[in-house]
Amino acid sequence: MDSPDKPLEDPSWDGESSLSDGHDSADIDSDEPLLKGISPEPDPSIEEYYQLQQELVLLTLFLAVVIFVPVWMVYSLNIAFNCLIGACVGVVYLKMLAKGVEQLGRQKAKVGKNQLALFIGLILVASQLEPLHIIPIFLGFLTYKVAIIVSIFRSSSSILSEFL
Amino acid sequence: MDPLVAAASVIGAGLAVGLGAIGPGVGQGTASGQAVAGIARQPEAEGKIRATLLLTLAFMESLTIYGLVIALVLLFANPFA
Repeated sequence: MDSPDKPLEDPSWDGESSLSDGHDSADIDSDEPLLKGISPEPDPSIEEYYQLQQELVLLTLFLAVVIFVPVWMVYSLNIAFNCLIGACVGVVYLKMLAKGVEQLGRQKAKVGKNQLALFIGLILVASQLEPLHIIPIFLGFLTYKVAIIVSIFRSSSSILSEFL
Repeated sequence: MDPLVAAASVIGAGLAVGLGAIGPGVGQGTASGQAVAGIARQPEAEGKIRATLLLTLAFMESLTIYGLVIALVLLFANPFA
């Protein structure tokens, strides 16, 4: 069914984009790819993303050091080092994931799986070498998730404090 | 190792990775696609969208990692061996 205002045969009319975001259809060429708004150069608005990335890395390292001491006291130095190794690999994993997200839509069309290979290598090494244990390394690796949860709580508490 | 335990471990490892990757795979694809479409619509919000995407992908990938850990433990550090 043709629109009464503009027929579908009209090549200058981009019905989808004008309906979806309300922009003037004159400045959106339908032949251009969807990603035309993404320039290869970093946008100033992406500073927020870099800031979050840096915050997560620093928070993960801080939590790894904080966790290291009680694990050393309760269990042993070997277990504590296992946790630290896992946390350090978690930081590398987080950096690789962040790099993949950063390149998404620019150089790459999807987020890579290289970071999973890093984790597989870690668990394989932990299962083969005698002084390494899988469970402490895996729990240390999950430190980055604790950092994410802490970061989300910090940001959401600042938003909540604005409302309350 | 008992051959029955070995066979069950290998099958369990395959199922853990295979079934565990379906949900996160679909979720990551949907989230990434929507994020890129959102950035294309609103390039000025790119930083915020990418930051949210990083957090969601980190949580989604951990679901794959759980299945991967089970599979690797079954294959290389089997407690039932």
